[in-house]
Amino acid sequence: MKKHIAAAVLLLLILGAALVLWLSPYNYAFQDRDAIMAPSTAQHWTGTDELGRDRTVRVAAALLIGLTGATAAAVITIMIAASFGLLAAYSPPAVAAILMFVSDGFLSLPWLFLLMMARSLLPLTASPLQTAVTTFLVLAAFGWPACARAIYRGAAQFRTAEWMIQGHACGLKTRQLVRLHLVPHLRPLLLPQFLICVPAFIVAEANLGALGLGVGEPMPSWGAMLLELENSALLARSQWVYLPIALLVVVLLILESFTTEIEY
Amino acid sequence: MHLPMIVLARVGRTLLLMLFAAAGTILLVRFAPGYFTDYREMDTKYTQAAQAEIQADAAQQQSAGQIAMRMVKSWLNGDLGQSRQYGVPVAELIGARLQVSALLLVRGILWGWLLAICTALPISGMRKGGVLWGLPFTVLLAIPTAAMATACILAEVGGPVLVLSLIVAAREFKFLRNLLEGAWRSPHLLQGRAQGLSPRALVTMHILPNVAPQLRALATLSIVTALGALVPIEVIFTVPGVGQLAWSAVMNRDLPVLVAVSLLMTAVVGFAGMLSSRAVTLEEA
Repeated sequence: MKKHIAAAVLLLLILGAALVLWLSPYNYAFQDRDAIMAPSTAQHWTGTDELGRDRTVRVAAALLIGLTGATAAAVITIMIAASFGLLAAYSPPAVAAILMFVSDGFLSLPWLFLLMMARSLLPLTASPLQTAVTTFLVLAAFGWPACARAIYRGAAQFRTAEWMIQGHACGLKTRQLVRLHLVPHLRPLLLPQFLICVPAFIVAEANLGALGLGVGEPMPSWGAMLLELENSALLARSQWVYLPIALLVVVLLILESFTTEIEY
Repeated sequence: MHLPMIVLARVGRTLLLMLFAAAGTILLVRFAPGYFTDYREMDTKYTQAAQAEIQADAAQQQSAGQIAMRMVKSWLNGDLGQSRQYGVPVAELIGARLQVSALLLVRGILWGWLLAICTALPISGMRKGGVLWGLPFTVLLAIPTAAMATACILAEVGGPVLVLSLIVAAREFKFLRNLLEGAWRSPHLLQGRAQGLSPRALVTMHILPNVAPQLRALATLSIVTALGALVPIEVIFTVPGVGQLAWSAVMNRDLPVLVAVSLLMTAVVGFAGMLSSRAVTLEEA
């Protein structure tokens, strides 16, 4: 029940954000030079930033970009983790040990430090779209090791499961075994990992953005919008500056609630 | 396997992981765009001959293998190299900042644990309303570290220690509550309750001794959580620690500093993991 309410609220937020972007006369990069750091007005419901950009439109775009990017990155991460975990689970023990050592190697550095290092070493002065793609690709490229470990543990148990041995004994081909038995059994293992990855990636993007290593301007992102909080002149003029962080917390709470439901 | 062999195997594994992390860092930095850019090439006070020498020096250092070999040789001689951006020995640079970061980590972890355990203990014993009481921690978990640090600066409340403790508390509260809830439900606890033991006696005589090994494992893993939060916290609060140095090193492609920080972080994470698994193994034995 709680999960359904959370999903409905998330869907409403997404639809609302899409509607704002569709109906608003401004795009996220449009600068209204006559309304710089404006408070809430009829033209700009939640005010504007220090460049005169409409905050409602930017928050709506940040929400959609953040969710789309994090979901896409989570899909890629799960695909890499599943391939890696399955390869390790169905390889000889020595190969599995090497593969898991590689995954431990990635886990041996704090995740945010690793992301920061990888992201900063990639071009930071590319086009906004390229920086967005790079940021989420970096998240996907470094997010898989913990998931791979969980998938490896689960898949290693499937290897010796009775239904697998039965399938082998019945003469099923490897492809059939994977399609008919392994994938359906892996699904309950992959879904929680995916649901954990999405909010984790959104938080990581926000942290990277706050360090100046996230999505490039003028494309809005949670990280870039958090940087607004450092502008004391803006804070003194409007309380709407807190809208992005408030919305981010709501979105993350909704996403966290999906994972909690699965855990319990 | 005998205890010395287990310890030796785990130390060996940690050392291998450190080498893996160092190799990965060297590869990442070596192939980063602009790694060979030298600000001196733009400086007119350097003559053409001097610039040619600078370029020749850079050309000699181009291969990742050569960089790695040179670094390993100097590490074996106890030399961590010289920072590209500050021009001072890396050991000196890290040594000065290590104390600041270590102190921040210790204080953050201790306060975080105190907060988490003091709230998780009574909440886990509740029959109803536990989720509601735990809500502040759930909200804290949803706030990015950078946002929490910025909010503290804006509100002029607390500082790096507060943010780090809140992050540690938010992460550990969830695990602690689950762990303690299981402990409260165990049959011997029910028996103790039925016999009229006070909650204090139940906690000190039954719950804490029972969950001690898991608590120790969780405590060492807090180090990893705190290390991850160290960079944004130190950068936003301008704390002159290792996290801020790491950020400055990645922004300036300062390879010697970056490799040394990676080695340090891998060592801390590796030994923390080793201690946590050791604690559980000893209790199981």
